[in-house]
Amino acid sequence: MATATAALHRIRGSSLIDAIGLLILGLVVIWVVVKFAQDPTRFLNVTVLGARNGAIYGLVALGYTLVYGILQLINFAHGDVFALSGLVASTMIISVFGLDTTTGVLLIVIGLVGTLAVTIPLFAVVNATIERIAYKPLRNAPRLAPLITAVGVSFIVQNISLALYGVDFESVPNFIPRTDAVEIGGVGIGWNTIAVFLIVIPVLLVLTWFVRSTRQGKAMRAVAQDREASAMMGIDVNRTISVTFVIAGGLAAVAGLVYLLQFNIRYDTGFQLGLIAFTAAVLGGIGNLTGAVLGALMIGMVEAWNEGLDGTPGGDWTRSMIFGILIATLVFRPQGILGERTPEGA
Amino acid sequence: MTTTEQPAGPVLEIDDIHLYYGAIHALKGVSLTVNQGEIVTLIGANGAGKSSTLRAINGINRPRDGRIRFQGEDITHRSAHRIVKGGIAQSPEGRRLFPRMSVTENLEMGAFQRTDRANFAEDMERVFELFPRLKERRTQKAGTMSGGEQQMCAIGRALMARPKLLLLDEPSMGLAPIFVERIFETVVEVNKQGTPVLLVEQNALMALDVAGRGYVMETGRIALEGAASELKTNEQVRKTYLGEG
Repeated sequence: MATATAALHRIRGSSLIDAIGLLILGLVVIWVVVKFAQDPTRFLNVTVLGARNGAIYGLVALGYTLVYGILQLINFAHGDVFALSGLVASTMIISVFGLDTTTGVLLIVIGLVGTLAVTIPLFAVVNATIERIAYKPLRNAPRLAPLITAVGVSFIVQNISLALYGVDFESVPNFIPRTDAVEIGGVGIGWNTIAVFLIVIPVLLVLTWFVRSTRQGKAMRAVAQDREASAMMGIDVNRTISVTFVIAGGLAAVAGLVYLLQFNIRYDTGFQLGLIAFTAAVLGGIGNLTGAVLGALMIGMVEAWNEGLDGTPGGDWTRSMIFGILIATLVFRPQGILGERTPEGA
Repeated sequence: MTTTEQPAGPVLEIDDIHLYYGAIHALKGVSLTVNQGEIVTLIGANGAGKSSTLRAINGINRPRDGRIRFQGEDITHRSAHRIVKGGIAQSPEGRRLFPRMSVTENLEMGAFQRTDRANFAEDMERVFELFPRLKERRTQKAGTMSGGEQQMCAIGRALMARPKLLLLDEPSMGLAPIFVERIFETVVEVNKQGTPVLLVEQNALMALDVAGRGYVMETGRIALEGAASELKTNEQVRKTYLGEG
């Protein structure tokens, strides 16, 4: 084991592995350029869909990366919190606000905002409660303990979803039309795609501003970099960690709604999507917010290209490809696209 | 900051504290006092318990027995961030800057618990005056600076808290002699402006030069205490810590 690790370190340090990585990356880029040249319209249409899905994955990925950044914990439960929030959002939209295809724009906006006004606080509290009950008592335990606990919490949340909503997929009517809002030279952008970006972009801007510029955001960054030194600066570390889970829970709620606008959702959706989002976070550089979104956009596009273009392995292979990307990231660039090599060895 | 005449009473009183790391008995009944306006030094070999004492004062590690009083109030069981809010700032062992934050951001973090943001810019200017080097590097990530620069930043960060008691843990560790001198000058300067200092050092000679009183620690206990001038001439101290013998 020890020799294997040492060997891996040597290989990582060598330029050979970098060369192989660059070669693979170069081949992918060439392939993408060729595909674009063959049929630009189709390629761009597929890419727009990829970017839309990637934006949704990005919202979920942010939840992983925020929590990892501050606790070095992969919060497996995050995907399941996201799925449960989507299920609750479906109830809100159908039973409370009664949105359907005949609803006017104003009522749709009220319905969506109203749904978020319920689900964001609800899942912020749920997520913070999970932290308080399941992770906080293990704050000083070896890292494996909270990790296993996170897997356990994931199952618990998943089973709560199952108990409340059963095994069937939930969906909402297409009250946001899927017809094209804009069309430039055969490349169409649907209303539903625009709706996704209208929600996702402001959320990202606010989150970035919060982490960079506010007092609480700076406290989060400080705790992520050195927990003990943060306490010595007078930062309430426990409170800062709670706030992080509150924000991650709120993000999960937004992601749940946005996902529901495009896809069906059921109790185990979070497991699959959680793995994709986690891969995105690692690809971008775990702990790095911009990186998580960037990684998610890339995964969204790879998925769309694989499923929408000719001459690809096709949809059956999408998952294999995504985890192939995860493995390749860990081998060729373990710190991720935007991550920095940290002393702990990322 | 102006020098104000303060009553010469104790700022910090540690009374017989015992600290454990698991089964290891790290502090075996440590008592010490820091009075208003003093520089007190705590010297001793590696692993004698100097840093543990500071960590206990700061609330990072809880003593199992004994009491710690700060400005007359019992802070033994207070959480770390509340102790810091009360006015104890520390420049910790190994500096512990936030490596991916800029120098300015690190200094800002030092003032995190302060509610008076008004004098903030002025205080930062004062730190830059003490350490002009930091001003040149203010946008640089702290983790990329040299050891000496990082040490200045760590001390500056502690000063940004406008502490009522300053704890310095090995401020001279691993630094070039020119930096060491600069840092000790600063300690004296800060003290003259009215801040009592508890200085942990391995560089016993320098520490005893600037301090009024000193404590010598050995394996979790205070072995000797007295005026710095007396400790400097003490046979045992000279042999063990001043490299004579």
